[in-house]
Amino acid sequence: MTNLLPRWSARLGVGLGLVGLITLFGLLGPLLVGDPNAIRDIGLTPPGGGHLLGTTQTGQDVFAQLAYATRGSLEIGVLVGVMATLLSAVFGVIGAYVGGFTDEAFSLLSNVMLVIPGLPLVIVIAGFVPPESRGTWTIALVLALTGWAASARVLRAQTLSLRNRDYVAAAKVAGERPWRIVAVEIAPNLLPLLASQFVFAVILAILNEAGLAFLGLGTSNSSTLGTMLYYAQNGFALQRDAWWWLVPPGLLIALLGCGLALINFSIDEIIDPKLRNRARRRDTVAAPAPTVDDRDPDRVLTVRDLEVVYRVERPVHAVKGVSLTLRRGEILGLAGESGCGKTTLAYAINRLHRPPAEVTAGSVVFHDRDGTDIDVLALGPGELRAFRWDKLSMVFQGAMNSLNPVTTVRAQLDDVLTTHRPGMSAAERRERCQEVLRLVGVDPARLGSYAHELSGGMRQRVMIAAALLLEPQVMIMDEPTTALDVVVQRGILRELLRFRDELGFAVVFITHDLPLLLELADRIAVMKDGEIVEYDTAERVHRDPRHPYTRTLLASFPSLTGDRRDYAREGAR
Amino acid sequence: MTSTIEVRDLVKDYTIRSGLSRARLRAVDDVTFTLTPGRTLALVGESGSGKSTIARMIARLERPSSGSITLTGADGERVPDRRYRNHVQMVFQDPFASLNPFHTIEHHLARPLRLHGRASDIRAEVARLLERVNLPAAEIAHRRPHELSGGQRQRVAIARALAPGARVVVADEPVSMLDVSIRLGVLTLLNRLQREEGLAILYITHDLATARHFSDDIMVLYRGRVVERGPADEVILRPKHPYTRLLAAAAPDPDARGRSLESGLDVAGNPPVRVDDPGCTFRDRCPMATRVCAQPVADHRVADDHYAKCWMYVDGT
Repeated sequence: MTNLLPRWSARLGVGLGLVGLITLFGLLGPLLVGDPNAIRDIGLTPPGGGHLLGTTQTGQDVFAQLAYATRGSLEIGVLVGVMATLLSAVFGVIGAYVGGFTDEAFSLLSNVMLVIPGLPLVIVIAGFVPPESRGTWTIALVLALTGWAASARVLRAQTLSLRNRDYVAAAKVAGERPWRIVAVEIAPNLLPLLASQFVFAVILAILNEAGLAFLGLGTSNSSTLGTMLYYAQNGFALQRDAWWWLVPPGLLIALLGCGLALINFSIDEIIDPKLRNRARRRDTVAAPAPTVDDRDPDRVLTVRDLEVVYRVERPVHAVKGVSLTLRRGEILGLAGESGCGKTTLAYAINRLHRPPAEVTAGSVVFHDRDGTDIDVLALGPGELRAFRWDKLSMVFQGAMNSLNPVTTVRAQLDDVLTTHRPGMSAAERRERCQEVLRLVGVDPARLGSYAHELSGGMRQRVMIAAALLLEPQVMIMDEPTTALDVVVQRGILRELLRFRDELGFAVVFITHDLPLLLELADRIAVMKDGEIVEYDTAERVHRDPRHPYTRTLLASFPSLTGDRRDYAREGAR
Repeated sequence: MTSTIEVRDLVKDYTIRSGLSRARLRAVDDVTFTLTPGRTLALVGESGSGKSTIARMIARLERPSSGSITLTGADGERVPDRRYRNHVQMVFQDPFASLNPFHTIEHHLARPLRLHGRASDIRAEVARLLERVNLPAAEIAHRRPHELSGGQRQRVAIARALAPGARVVVADEPVSMLDVSIRLGVLTLLNRLQREEGLAILYITHDLATARHFSDDIMVLYRGRVVERGPADEVILRPKHPYTRLLAAAAPDPDARGRSLESGLDVAGNPPVRVDDPGCTFRDRCPMATRVCAQPVADHRVADDHYAKCWMYVDGT
C-alpha cells in the first residue's frame, strides 16, 4: 500500500497544512464565533477591539462571516468534487472498458461538454434556476454537470491503457467477470489518478462558485467566500478602503487553491514517479587524471577506477571501481544482466549520465589519433559537444526507435554533418551520407525515406550509419541488435565486423548475450553488481572462465547442437 | 485427469482500417496441431510471425476467424465451453505486466481457486501452490509483485496457471523477459511440473536452443504459416526448410569464433512478397527460391513425423 501514498515532502507538508488549517477553521470556526448576520450600528469598523477583522457596512462581524463562508465554500467544493469524480469515472472508465458503441457515445458526450464554454454555461444554467431554490445542492449539481468532462477523458485514456495490460488478460483467462475486472483489477490502479482528479475538481468548484456568487448567481440560503466578496463589492468596500472586508475571503480562496494544488503535485508523483528525484545536476570533476601508463601505444580509451553513484534516498553504487582499456580496432564485449551497471557505465564514459547519477571518482581518458590525451570528465559543455559523436559515438538500446519520425533519413544524417563539419559543402555532405549507408548495407536511394518506411533491421543500420558519419575512433553499442530477429541480427553483426576491419575503429559492445560476445568480441568484461568480475580475451573466457558468475552465465545458454541430456529433459521419457 | 487440445485449420485475420480503405492482414494461416498430455510442443518464430496470436486464441482471449480449437477431457468427451478455463491456462511473457501491482501474491492465487471452486481451505492451497513452484509460501504470500524478482514473479504466474487445475498450459515466451541466469531454472520448473502432472504444454519461443532442450516436438512458424514441424532433434539437427536452416545457422557458436559470422547462409534479396501471397511467403528471402515457389505449396514429408512446407521436398526427399 505504501506505494499508493504520496511521499513526504515540504510541498506536501505546506499543502496539507494550509488545507488542514482552513478546513479546521471551516469546521470549528462557526461554533466559536457569534451570529454573522447580527446587525449593529458600527458599520465599517476597522479590525481591532471587539471585532477581530472589523465589521461590514451594516456592522456584521467579518470574522464570523468568514468562518461561515469558509464552511459553505468547502461544502460546495467537496460536493462537486465527489459528484464530478463519480460522473467522470462512470463515463471514462466504463466507456473505455466496454469499448465499441458505448465508448463512442460516452466520448462524444464528454467532448461536447468540453467544447461548450464552461463558465458561460454555468451562468446560463444558474441564471435559469429561480433564486429561492438556488441552494448549495443546486449550485453543486450545476458545477458538477459542467465540470466532469475533462477528467472523464483523462480517466478514459488511462483505462484504455490499463485494460490492455497482461494482468487484465490473465484475469480474463482465469474466468473473472467483466464487472469484477473493472472493480478489482483496473479501479485500484486508477486510485492516484482519481484522487488527483478529485482534488482538481474541488479547486475548480471553489473558484467557479466564487465567480458565480460574485456575479450574484450564488447560493441564496448559505454564505460562501464568493457571496462574501459579492456583498463586499456591492457595499463599495473597495471605494471606502474597507480592505478588511475584501481581502480575507479573497486570500482564503487563494490559499485554499494553493494548498490543494500543492497536494495534487504530490499525488502526481505517485502517478509518474519520474517527477521524483529532480536532483540538481552536480558534476563532480574527479581528481586530475592520473598519468596514464605509456606502455600501450595502441590504446584509444582508458577508464580508471570509475565510480558512479545514483544519489537517491538510499544511494545506489551502480559502477564500482571499473577500469578498462580499449585498444584501437578492438571489440570489447561488456556482458552482464539487467541492473549490473553496464548501461550506466556506457553513459558515464560519454558523460551522458543524468542526475541523480553522478561520477564520484575515477577518470575517463580518450587518446586521440594525433597523440593528445583528452580528459573526458573535465571537458566543458562546448568541448563535450564537439567531442561526442566526433571522436566517440553511440548506438543506443532500441536505437531503431530513435529515428525522428517526421524528417527523412537524409535530413537526420545531414544534420550531424552540418553541426560537426560546418566547412562541408552540400554536395560533399550528400556524398558522405550515401557512402555510410552503402557501408552498412542500405541502398543510398533510401536517403529520402522516412523512418516508418524502413524495416526494423534497416532502421538499426541507419542508426549505425549515423554513428559512423564522422569516422569516430570509438563506438559504444548498447544492446544494438536485441530487438531484431536472429537472422537480421546476424547480418548486421557480420557487417559490423567487416567495416571495423576496414575503418579500424574500436567498439564497446554491451549485451546480455555472452555466447554472441564469445564469437564477436576480442576481449570480454563480465559485469556483476557494478563490478567487473572477469576481464580477459574472449578465447580464455570461453575456454577457461575463472569467476563462478561467468561460468553461471555461460551455462545459462544451452548449445543448439550440444548433447540434450545435459539439460532438463533428462529422465523425461 | 488429462486433456487434449486439437487445433484444426486455424485462421486469424485482422482488418486494418486506414481512412476509407480496409485491408485484411492474415496473422495466422491454416495452422493445425494437437497438444497431448505429457508432451511439450514448441512453437518457434520471429516477432510478428503470429505465435502470440495462436496462444491468445487457445487461451480464448481472441476469437479465430475460422478453424476450430477442440478440448477433449480424460473421458474422451468434448469439454463444454463454460468449463474450458478450468482446463486451459496461460503464462504470459512479461511477469512485470501480468501481475497486478495493487494486489498481493495471495490474491493472485486465491482468485482462480475461488472462481473454480477448487479448495475449501484457500490459504493452505495457496501455500501448496507456491511450494509447487519452489517459493517459500510464508515469505511470499503477503507480498506485492514489485517486491519480487522477475524470476519469482514468473513462478507466481506459473502457480496461478496451475491454480484452476489446468491440464493444458500455454507458455508465451515465459523466459524472454527474465535475466539469462534464471531462465533455465524457470524452464526446468515448467518441465518438472509437466512430467509430474501430465500437463500438455505449448511452449512459444524465438529461441531454438531452449525449444530443442525443453520440448518434444517443434513447429516453425513463418508469417503465420507452419513451415516445418517434427520431433525436436530432427528439426534442429536436420532442418529441411530453408528458413529453419537459416535460423539454425544464425545461432551463436563460440567454437567457430567469427567464422560463422563471416560465412553463414546469405539472405536473398528478392522482391518482397505480400503476406497473403498464395505461394511460399519465404521466397523473397530464400536463397534457394525458384519459379515454382510462386505456386501454392503443401506440407511434404521429409522423414518420420517430419514435414516441411517447401517445393524442394515435393518428391519426399
